[in-house]
Amino acid sequence: MDKQVELLQGTLEILILKAVSLGPLHGYGILLRIQQISGDRLQIPQGSFYIALYRIEHKGWLKGEWGESENNRRAKFYRLTPAGSRQLKAQTEKWSQMTGVVDGILSATPEKI
Amino acid sequence: MIFFANLVSWWNALVHRTRVDNDIETELQFHIDAHTQRLIDLGVPPREAKRRSKIEFGRVDVQKEKYRSAIGLGPLHEIGGDVRYGLRSLYRNKAVSLVAVLSLALGIGATTAMFSLIYATLLHPFPYADADRIVNPAVIDEKHPQVPTWFALTPRQFESFRHARSIDTILGFNLAGLEATGSDLPENVSAAYVTSNASSFFGIPAMLGRGIQASDVPARSNPLNIVVLGYDFWKRKYPDDKSILGKTLQLNHEDYTIVGVMPQRFTFTQTVGGADVYIPWTPARFTHLFPWIKLKPGVSVTTADAEFQSYLVQFKKETPKHFPDSFHVNVQPILQPYVHNIGRTLTLLFASVVLLLIIGCANCSVLLLARGESRHHELAIRSAIGASRFRIVRQLLVESMALALSGACIGVIISYWLANLPLKLLPNDFPHEAVISINLPVLCFSVGLALLTGLLFGLAPALRLSRPDVSRFMQSGARSAGVNSSKGALNTLVAGQIALTLILLCTAGAAIAGFIKITRLQLGYDPHNVMAVGIPLKRDTKKNHPERAAYINQLRESVAAIPNVLDVAVALNSIPPNHPFSSTQVPFDVFGSQPEQEQQAGIFLVSPEYFATLKIPLLNGRLWDQTENQRGDFVAVINQTLAQRYWPKGDAVGHQLRATSLKDDGSPLAAASPQSGEWRQIIGVVADSRNDGLDHAPEPAIFVPYTTFMWDEIHLLIRTTSSPLASFHAVRVALQSVNPDQRAFNHADDLEETLQYQPLWSQQRLFSILFAFFACLALALSLVGLSSTVVFAVSRRMSELGIRMALGAQRWNIVWLVMRTTSITVLSGIAVGLLLNLALQRLLRHWTPASIQTPLILAGITLLLIASAVVACLPPLKRAANVDPAQTLRSG
Repeated sequence: MDKQVELLQGTLEILILKAVSLGPLHGYGILLRIQQISGDRLQIPQGSFYIALYRIEHKGWLKGEWGESENNRRAKFYRLTPAGSRQLKAQTEKWSQMTGVVDGILSATPEKI
Repeated sequence: MIFFANLVSWWNALVHRTRVDNDIETELQFHIDAHTQRLIDLGVPPREAKRRSKIEFGRVDVQKEKYRSAIGLGPLHEIGGDVRYGLRSLYRNKAVSLVAVLSLALGIGATTAMFSLIYATLLHPFPYADADRIVNPAVIDEKHPQVPTWFALTPRQFESFRHARSIDTILGFNLAGLEATGSDLPENVSAAYVTSNASSFFGIPAMLGRGIQASDVPARSNPLNIVVLGYDFWKRKYPDDKSILGKTLQLNHEDYTIVGVMPQRFTFTQTVGGADVYIPWTPARFTHLFPWIKLKPGVSVTTADAEFQSYLVQFKKETPKHFPDSFHVNVQPILQPYVHNIGRTLTLLFASVVLLLIIGCANCSVLLLARGESRHHELAIRSAIGASRFRIVRQLLVESMALALSGACIGVIISYWLANLPLKLLPNDFPHEAVISINLPVLCFSVGLALLTGLLFGLAPALRLSRPDVSRFMQSGARSAGVNSSKGALNTLVAGQIALTLILLCTAGAAIAGFIKITRLQLGYDPHNVMAVGIPLKRDTKKNHPERAAYINQLRESVAAIPNVLDVAVALNSIPPNHPFSSTQVPFDVFGSQPEQEQQAGIFLVSPEYFATLKIPLLNGRLWDQTENQRGDFVAVINQTLAQRYWPKGDAVGHQLRATSLKDDGSPLAAASPQSGEWRQIIGVVADSRNDGLDHAPEPAIFVPYTTFMWDEIHLLIRTTSSPLASFHAVRVALQSVNPDQRAFNHADDLEETLQYQPLWSQQRLFSILFAFFACLALALSLVGLSSTVVFAVSRRMSELGIRMALGAQRWNIVWLVMRTTSITVLSGIAVGLLLNLALQRLLRHWTPASIQTPLILAGITLLLIASAVVACLPPLKRAANVDPAQTLRSG
C-alpha cells in the first residue's frame, strides 16, 4: 500500500460533493468511494466525515433520502441538489486555480524570477 | 436558498427531535455495521471486526452532539439542557424557589401595574384617532392667568377658522341640558351638539348603528331629528336593549330618532362635562360653537398659538363678549391637564414600586447566594469534569431567568388588579377614557423587566459561585467549617433592603399622618347629612324678576315641606368646600377707602338659610330676611377673614362695599331694588368656612342674596335627618309638584362624599393606601431576606456552635454570637435608611405637600422595624440555642 496522505483542511466538503455527483450514495458508500478513487491513499477521520456531511446537508447542497441498501438494510442515500452541483462547480474551479497558483510558486526556480 | 435550507433543517432538528435523533442513530449504526462487514470480508475475525469498527468510529452519542453543532444548534441544545436542569433544581428546593418567585412577583407585579397605569392614563388614554394632535383651544385671560378659558365662535367665524394653516380638522360643539319628557319624572339629559364631521374627527365607529354623518344636515332642507346615545346613558335608560335603533327619544317635547349608540370608551366631552346624547349641530339649534382642534402633523403648539392669536383678535372685534379684554392663545394637548394633575403622583408611585422591586431582587440574590453555598459541591464537580466558567454562569443565569419569568407571570396577574386600584381611588383625576388592559406594550415591559431583574439578581451570585475552589470543596465535602465567602455580600444586601424598607415605611407613615390631618380638618361648616341638588331653570319659565324669585322660593319651600328635610337653602355658585362656577376672586371696593392694591374676594349668591343649613355661625350683626331676599336688596354678609382684614377692630357691620361684577347689568332678571345704589350695606359677619378647596385657607367671602342674579341653574342645599341621598327621589317629586316640567339633575351630591373627591383628600388617600401597601410588602420581603440569612448562618455554623457548646458556652453566648452580625446589619441598614430619608425629605415635601413627617413618627417606625426584625429572627435563633452538641459533632 502506498503511503497515506492527510486530508488538507477544507477539502473534505468538495470531495464529498464530487463523490455524490457520480451517483447517489449512502454515507459509508461516500467514504468508501473517496478512499477507492484516491487509491486508498487518503485517510479520512470517520468522526469528522459525518460532521462535514451533515453540514453540507444543512446548507442544502445534498439531500438525504431513506432507501434500501445493497444488503437490504435501511440506509440514508444522498444525492446532489442543483445548489450542490453549482457549488461543486464553483469549488472545483477555485481548487484548480489554487493548485495552479501554488504549483507555479512551488515550481519556481531562481532562473525564472 | 441556503437560508431556507437552513431553516428546514433547524426546524426538523428542533421540532422532530426524536425522529432526527433516531435517524442519526440508524445511519451511524448502518455505517458501523457496513464497516464491520467490510473488515470481515477482508478476513478479520467477526468479533475483532466489530471491536475495531466501533473504536474507529467512536460513540454514537458523541456524534449526535457533533451533528447539532454542525448545523449550528449546539448552544440552543445546551441551553435547553440548562433550562431542564434549572427547573429540576428549582423544583427540588421548593420553599426557596417559592419565596424567590413570590418576592419577584410582588416587585414585578407592582412595577408592571404602575407602568400599565402610566401607559393607560398618560401615554394612551384617549381612544380618538390621532389623539396626540387634538388640542383644547384655551385662551388665557391676562387678568386671571391661572385659569384657561374656552372661547365660542359664530358659525361664520368657525367657517373661516377652519381654514387656518395649522388646523387639520376642527370639530365644533356646544352643550345643553335638555329634558327627557314622556316618562314619570322629567329627567335631565345633557346633550352635545356636534358638527356633522364628528365621526371622522373622532375616528371611533359606533357600537350600535352609526355615528353622526354629513347627510344628517342636508344643505337645503331641514336637519333630521336624529340622536346618537352615549354608552352610559344607553345602559341607564335602556339597559342592554340592542333593538333600540329606530326608536324615538323625546327631548324637550320633540321627537328624535335613535340611530346609534357609541362604545363605552367614547365619553366625549368628559373633559368639559359629560354628554348623554349627541345631536347634529345646526345654526338653528345653537347660535355658536366651541372648537376642538386637530392640528396638522408636525405643527407645534407655539406655531398654532401664534397663528390663532391673529384669528382670535379679529374675531374679538366681531364678538367682543366671547373673549376676555386682553388675552393670549394657549392651546394645550388634551392630555396636558391630566399630566399636570397626576404626573407627579404617578412618578412618585413608580419610584416607590421600583424600590419594592429592588428589595424583591435583593431578596432573590440573598436566597440564591445562601442556596449557592450549599451548591458549591455540585458546582465544583461540574467544574472538575470540564464545565467552563461560562457554562456555569450560563446555567446559574438560566435558573435565575426561570425564577424571574415565573415571577413575571404571577406579577402580570397581580398587576391587573393593582393597576385598577388608583383609578378607583382617584376617579376624577384620570382621563375617563383610560382603560387599564394587559396589552402588548405592558407584557413586553414586564417580560423585559423580568429579564433585567433576572440578570440583576442572578449575575452577582452566578459570578461568585462560578469560581469554585475545586480542591477545597472536593476535600472537605459538603460541610465546610471555613470562612464563608458570600457573607459580606449577603449582609450588604440585607442592610440595603432594610434601608429601602425604612424609607418606604417613613413615606407611608408621613402620608397616613397627613391624611389623618386632612380628615380632621376644621371645615367651618357641617357637611353631615347635607346634599346638593342641581336644578336647571328654563329661561322662559318666569319672565320678570319678582316672579322668578318667587318661583325659586316656591321650589325651596316645596322641598322644605318634605318630612325628613330639616333645612333647605338656595345657592347659585357655592357647594362647599368649593365654589365651582366662579373659582376666581373678583375685585371689590370698600366705601371710603382707597387701597393701593386691588382687593379681591369670592362672591357667593345664596339664600339666608344657607348659614343655618351648613351650620355656619353668625358672629356679628344679622342675616338678611325673606323680604330683603325676595327684593334682592343691596345687602351683604361677609366672612371673618374679610372682616378681620379690613376692620380688625370688629366694626365691619354698617360699612359699605361694592363689586363691579354685582352691578345691575340691565338684564330683566337682575335685581332692581329701590335702594340699589352701587354700594352694599354690610349687615353681618359669619364665621369662616372652607370655600377654596381643602388645601387652602378660607378666602375672603361676600355673601349676597341669590336674587341679585338668577342664572339658569340653581342648587338646593338640603339638610336631612338621615342619609340625604335617600330623600333625593322625594325632592324630585316635590319639584315636580310645583311645575310638572321642573326637573333636577340626575345626580345629587352628598357633601360628606364630595369631600372625598377633593383632589387633596383623594390624592392623600391614594398615597396613604398605596404607600402603606408597598411599605408592608417591602417589610415582609426584607424580613424574609433577613431571616433567611440568619437561617443560613445558623445552619452553616451548626458544628461550630456544637463545639462551642461542648466547650461550655452558655445559650445566651450562642445566641449573641449569631445575633451579633445580624444586629450590626440591621442597625446599619436603619442608620443608612434614616440618613437617606433625611436627604429625601425636601424632595418628598415638595411632591407630597400634605404629608407630615415628625420625629415621633420616625421613632415609631424605627421601633416597628426593629421589633419585626427580632420576631423574624426568633425561629432560627431558637434553633441555634437548642443545638445539641453531641448530635452536631457526630454528624460532623
